[in-house]
This record gives sequence, C-alpha cells and structure tokens, in this order.
Amino acid sequence: IFFGKRKKMKNLTLVVMLLCYSFASSSGDSTIHTNNWAVLVCTSRFWFNYRHMANTLSLYRTVKRLGIPDERIILMLADDMACNSRNQYPAQVDYRGYEVTVENFLRVLTGRHENAVPRSKRLLSDEGSHILLYMTGHGGDEFLKFQDAEELQSHDLADAELLIMVDTCQAATLFNQLQSPGVLAIGSSLKGENSYSHHLDSDIGVSVVDRFTYYTLAFFERLNIYDNASLNRSYDPRQLMSTAYYRTDLYQPHLSEVPVTNFFGSVMETIHTDSAYHAFSSRISNSKIKSDTPFNQPFNQLSEQDVKEDLQNTNNQNDELKTEKQKCPYSEMRADLHEKLKKIENVDTMVNLSIAVMILVVMVSSSLL
Amino acid sequence: MTKDDGEMVEEQKKKPCRFWIWALSSVLFRLILISYAGNLNLSSRPEVSTPLTSIRRLAEGYWLKQASMSPYAGSMYHGSPLLLSLLGPLTVQRIKGQPSHLFCSLVFVIADILSAILLRGIGKKLQMAYGLNARLLGLLKSPRDKAGILPCGDIAALVYLWNPFTIVCCVGLSTSPIENLAVILALNGAVTRRVPLAAFGLVMATHLSLYPAILTIPVIFLLGYGLDAPPLKLFLQTRNVESGNRSSTSSASKQAKSKPTAQLPFLWKTVVHFVFWALVWSLCVMVLCRLSLSKHGGLEEMFKRTYGFILSIEDLSPNIGVFWYFFAEVFDFFRNFFLIVFHVNILFMLLPLAIRLKHRPCFLAFIYLAISSLLKSYPSVGDSALYLSLWALFVNELADMKFSFFLFCGYLGVSLLSPVMHNLWIWRGTGNANFYFGNAIGYACFQIVFVVESVSAMLNHDRALKKCNPNHQKVKN
Repeated sequence: IFFGKRKKMKNLTLVVMLLCYSFASSSGDSTIHTNNWAVLVCTSRFWFNYRHMANTLSLYRTVKRLGIPDERIILMLADDMACNSRNQYPAQVDYRGYEVTVENFLRVLTGRHENAVPRSKRLLSDEGSHILLYMTGHGGDEFLKFQDAEELQSHDLADAELLIMVDTCQAATLFNQLQSPGVLAIGSSLKGENSYSHHLDSDIGVSVVDRFTYYTLAFFERLNIYDNASLNRSYDPRQLMSTAYYRTDLYQPHLSEVPVTNFFGSVMETIHTDSAYHAFSSRISNSKIKSDTPFNQPFNQLSEQDVKEDLQNTNNQNDELKTEKQKCPYSEMRADLHEKLKKIENVDTMVNLSIAVMILVVMVSSSLL
Repeated sequence: MTKDDGEMVEEQKKKPCRFWIWALSSVLFRLILISYAGNLNLSSRPEVSTPLTSIRRLAEGYWLKQASMSPYAGSMYHGSPLLLSLLGPLTVQRIKGQPSHLFCSLVFVIADILSAILLRGIGKKLQMAYGLNARLLGLLKSPRDKAGILPCGDIAALVYLWNPFTIVCCVGLSTSPIENLAVILALNGAVTRRVPLAAFGLVMATHLSLYPAILTIPVIFLLGYGLDAPPLKLFLQTRNVESGNRSSTSSASKQAKSKPTAQLPFLWKTVVHFVFWALVWSLCVMVLCRLSLSKHGGLEEMFKRTYGFILSIEDLSPNIGVFWYFFAEVFDFFRNFFLIVFHVNILFMLLPLAIRLKHRPCFLAFIYLAISSLLKSYPSVGDSALYLSLWALFVNELADMKFSFFLFCGYLGVSLLSPVMHNLWIWRGTGNANFYFGNAIGYACFQIVFVVESVSAMLNHDRALKKCNPNHQKVKN
C-alpha cells in the first residue's frame, strides 16, 4: 500500500464495513492463530453523521464484550462523542478528530510510523493475528470519504490482507481491486444501490445506526464468548433494503466453516508444553531472515571487521577465478562473477567503498596528470 | 607609480581574506537556518523540491531498498542508486533534539562550499585569460586598466554562496547542490585542463540528471581550443597592423597580410584523452549501479525509471516550469508528439550556438545550462542558482548588459509571488492553477530575456573589441 492522498469531494454515501482477515488458509502450512486485533474507523464527523459514530462505538462494545482487550483495539473516531464528559463509559480512543486521515489509516495498516508514535497507536499484529477492520462513513463508487477532505480508494486497499466488510452505499465496488489471497469481502450493497439507516431517534434528531450494522450487531448480541456460529449468515435483502454481497473467491476455507469468534472474540487454542518458549510459527523461512538482515542491522556502517571479511571473501574468490581462467576464458568468468555477485551479502558497503575509491582515483589522477 | 603598485599589492592581499570572511559567514547563515527555521517547510515547496530532487523521496527509496524491494517501486524515487547508497543511510540517522535530516543538510552545505571553491578556481583562470588577451590586443596601457579587471572568480563564488536560491535549496534539502557540484567540477576540470576530473564531473552530472550531457560540447571546446578569448580575427588584425607599422614593404608582412583566415589549432590528443576517461568513468558508474540493483531489475529498470521518467514527464505535479500545465491537458494521441517537440526545443539550439560561440566555450556552457534549466522537465530554483553564478563569471565582458535592473526586479518579483500563488491555489482555494501557471510563465519569460540579453551583450563586447582595435592603432599613429 503506498501513500496516496486525494482531496476530491463527492456526495455519495458509502457505508463501508471492512472485516479484515489476515490468516492464511486452513490447509497445509498455516500459522497458528494467536491473537485478535481490531481496527475500528469512523471517517465522518459532525452531528448529522451521528449514526456512523454509533456504528463504530457499538461494534467497539461488541468486540470488547467478546474478549478483545483495549491494547489490541485501535479506535479511530473523527468526532469525539465517546470522550464527551457526559459519557459514562468513555472509550479509549486512539486516533481522534483530525488525526483520522487516510495517511494515518494507511500507516496503521502498513506499520510505517514515525519513531515517536506510541505503541497504543500501532497495529502490532503478526503472522498469527486475525485482524478485524471495520470502517464506516460515506463513500461511493470505489472510494471511501475521509472527513470531507480526502478519500481512500479501492486500489489503496488492494494489497492489504484484509477481509473487508463494507457498510456504505455501493459497498461492493470498494473491493473491485482486491487481489491478495486470504481476503474475504462482504459488502452491504451492490454498485448503484444505497445502504440505509435503520431508525431515527426523536430525542437526538438524527439516525442512530445503519441497517447492515444493526442486523449484524443483533446477530452478535445473541452470541456469547463460547459460541461457534459461523460467518455464513445471510442477510435478508428486504430488511436491509439493499443486497448484501459476498466476495469469497479469494478466500479458501468455506464461509460456513469459519467461526465468527475467530475475528470478533478472543478465544484461542491453548497448547500445553513443557519446553521453553520457541517462535510459534513454522513459516519463518531462511530467505526471510536473509532479506531481513540489512533491515535489522543498525543503520550505522558495518564494523571494520565485517568489511575486512567481505574483502577477504572477494580476494579468495579472485584467486579461484584466476586458476579457472585457464580453462574457458569468457563464459566461465562471467558465471563466476554472477555467483560472486549473489554471494556478496552487503552490497551497499561495497558500493560505498567503490564510490570512495573512485573519488580517490579522480583526485590522484587529476593532480598527477 | 611605485606607490600605486604597492597599494594594489596590498589590496590584492586583502581580497582573499574578505572572500573567506564572506564565504564563512554564508556557511554560518546556512547552519543557523538549518537549526532554527524548522517552520519554513522549504522541502515541501514545489519550487525547491521536484520529483527528481526531493529528499523525502530519497528517504522513501532507501526504506524500500532496506525492505528488500526495488527502490524504484511505486514511482517515488527517480534518482541515481549511487546517491541512494550515499545519502540514504544519512536520512535515517537522527539526533535527539536536532532537526530531522541534519546530516543530509551538512552534506549539502559541504557541497555548496566545494562548488564555491571550484567556481573561484574557474574564475581565476578566466580572469588571467582575460587579462592576457587584453594585453595581447594592446588594450591595457596603465596599471589602473589592469586593476579595472574585476575578480570574477571571487564574485562568482560569492554570488553562488549568497544567492537566495542556493540557500533555499541547501536548507530545503533538495539534491540540486550535489548536481550543481558535479557540473562545476566538470567545468573546473576542463578549464584547468585536468582531463580525468572533467570527465568524472561530466559523467556524474549526466548520471544524476540527464541534461548536463549537452555540456559535452563546451567541455570538448574548452579542452580542444582553450579558454574564452575574443575571436581569432582580432589577434590576426593586431599582428597585421603591428607588422605593417614596422615595415610596410617587407615580404614577411605581405605574407602575413595575405593570410587573413587562420584556424585555431584543435588539440585532438587532449580530446581523445578526455573521451577515454569519460568511457572509463561511465563503465565504473554502470558497474556500480548494476551491483546495487542486481536483485531489483538491473540497469534496464534504472534507465527506465530515471531517464525514462525525465523524458516522458510522467509526474504532472506543479513546479516552476511550464510543462505540467500543458501535459495535463494534452490528448493522449498527441502526447508523444509534444514530448518530442519539447525535448527537441533544447537540442536544436545547441548547434547554432556552438557555431557562433565556439571561441568562448565557457560562456557557451553557461548558455547551455540556462537553456536547459529553462526547458527541462522538472525545473527548480537550484538550476537557476547554478546558471546565475556562472553568469557572474563573465562580469568583465557583460558589464554593459541591458535590462539588468528590470531582470533583477523580475526575478525577485517572481520568486516572491510564487509561494503566494501556490498558497492561494492549493491551501486557500481562492485561486486556481492559472495563478500559479501565470507566475511560471512570467519566470520563463524573464529567463528567456536574460539568456538573449547575455548573448547579445557578449557579442556586442566582441564587436566593440573589433572597433577598438584599428581605432587604437590609428590613434597611436
């Protein structure tokens, strides 16, 4: 996902509920499910969008009730009704008000934060996490509006390993561009349809919740933490006044086999073991370690010893090259060079050294010649 | 007379001290701006940082490389991989309490100082050549004439250091100080006849941004023909007149008179030497780039993303040039045609200028740089900083330039209005793109008038020398 801020304003309303599943298929080398995370985003502010805030907060309450603790919930609210002093149960809002922007949302999903961002604002998920991503607000054909000033488009979400449940108008269009495996998408309406609010509260004066969310939450209210109900529930189009749409082609297990508490709750298998704690996933491959080493090393230059080792390695390979040169001149040399290139681990230091050598040669030759 | 000589010698000794005082104070000024002006937000201004020179894009490219992806992924970074491996690690190092990218700013300050020192070297050589030519043409009669020659090296270096455009680019963390350093290195090498240095500077400058490739022509002229000088005809005339004064009937003078057209010798050996070193450095650079990008697509990817990006003008975000507005509206069918037209616009001016100004290769280099910074795909004020300081190398010849005050006011006005128009358009929404584009057009017009007036002032200077010569001899008679 790369940063793309757009500042167009459109008037269509999309209620996007995004459920993100980030666990691999249940066959073969899947990772063990260890924790659940929830990212709940409300992108609209102002009083007349009360129902969006209420959607998010009611889902927050549901998710907390089913077991996900506050440390693993990231709540982004564009307006602060939850932190109102009159509220008896204040929510722990992580991103509030004008901090709810497309840039911050994508930073949460990709994990690319500035150094100063506190842990409570980061999505510290790992391979064994299941992430629930819920977004609500206004949207339209292939976009979701953030705070009247920016939008998140469907191709911004395309590379995410998320299951998206979208409750906005024309919700199904937001996952037109999804291609990564392990993503399940459920939308509240098809292209060209609107999603509707459920009921109006005469004291407050505005609608308080949307239909899709209302029926989903009604379903959850009947569950408790140990239920085994699956996600394969059907939404009644007459009650929703729009057609709910499932996109299951990217997702391997069948919907009826997936229990809802995999994402909304915090129930996991416990395995008793007497041995010391090891890394739990079986998928840490060697290639991943190698590609991580330049990243994990300190950003200062390598120590002199490593540089000397690199130079010695290249010297040894040079000697080998010289003896083999006698056999087949050109093609063997090229093959050896290719192998040498692949073996060199820290290319960057070598490049820097070579640049320094080049500059030295320039200075020497220009003073001599 | 001896008193005058003594005074002049003392003055000349004071001048280097004054130069260093001004140079160091400009460095201090930059350091103050870097540490205290965090709110200036210069690195996000389109006039300062373009898609090719922005430090944020470099930092993004470096992060992508560290995450084992190609640094060119996602169309953020479009520069050289060598610059990435040099500046990339510096963008992530932070010291508590200091502004971000502090080490990069220090690198740019050092680049500016080096450029100033090299410019001073070029200027000294040019000044010596000017003095020598004037003496040969018989124009320097008194020591006061000799003192009248301005120290163009010092002036050019100080113009470069104190030019607001350069300071803004240095503090605003754009990579144009490094590109400017490479160009000045090439010119210095060519002027002081250090062939490997000239070749290295030219290869690096072309590698970093494509346009300095056109400087091959002036550099070859500098190495082949020598420094800037009045046209050869003037020297031949002087020699003819002098020999005619001595003896009008000798056969030698008749022979001299009968050879009016002679060619300056072209030093092929030096030029071949230069071409050899240029090939050596190009090979080194290509090998290093291949090494750095071996896992991410190799040289093809690099050429596509750097030179291809420059030539195909993919990014249409506003800048101080004129192409973004045009290419935002042009139909796709005609896009390639107009790309060719705009790039040929630079190329077709090279040959006529080379023919007309081949006796002044350093001035030719300045004109080429001015034209390319006017018509390049992503111009910024860093390019203007370079050619304005090169202009200052020719203060002796361009003293009679017309419209100089008008142009100065024009540049000042345009550079002050540009952030205002940008703010009105993007942040307040009370203006639109035409405001900003109008400003860019005004800037382009002022640059064109500047280039045209400089060339005509230089040609007028040569004509004045020609008129001066026979008149001078007549007076002597």
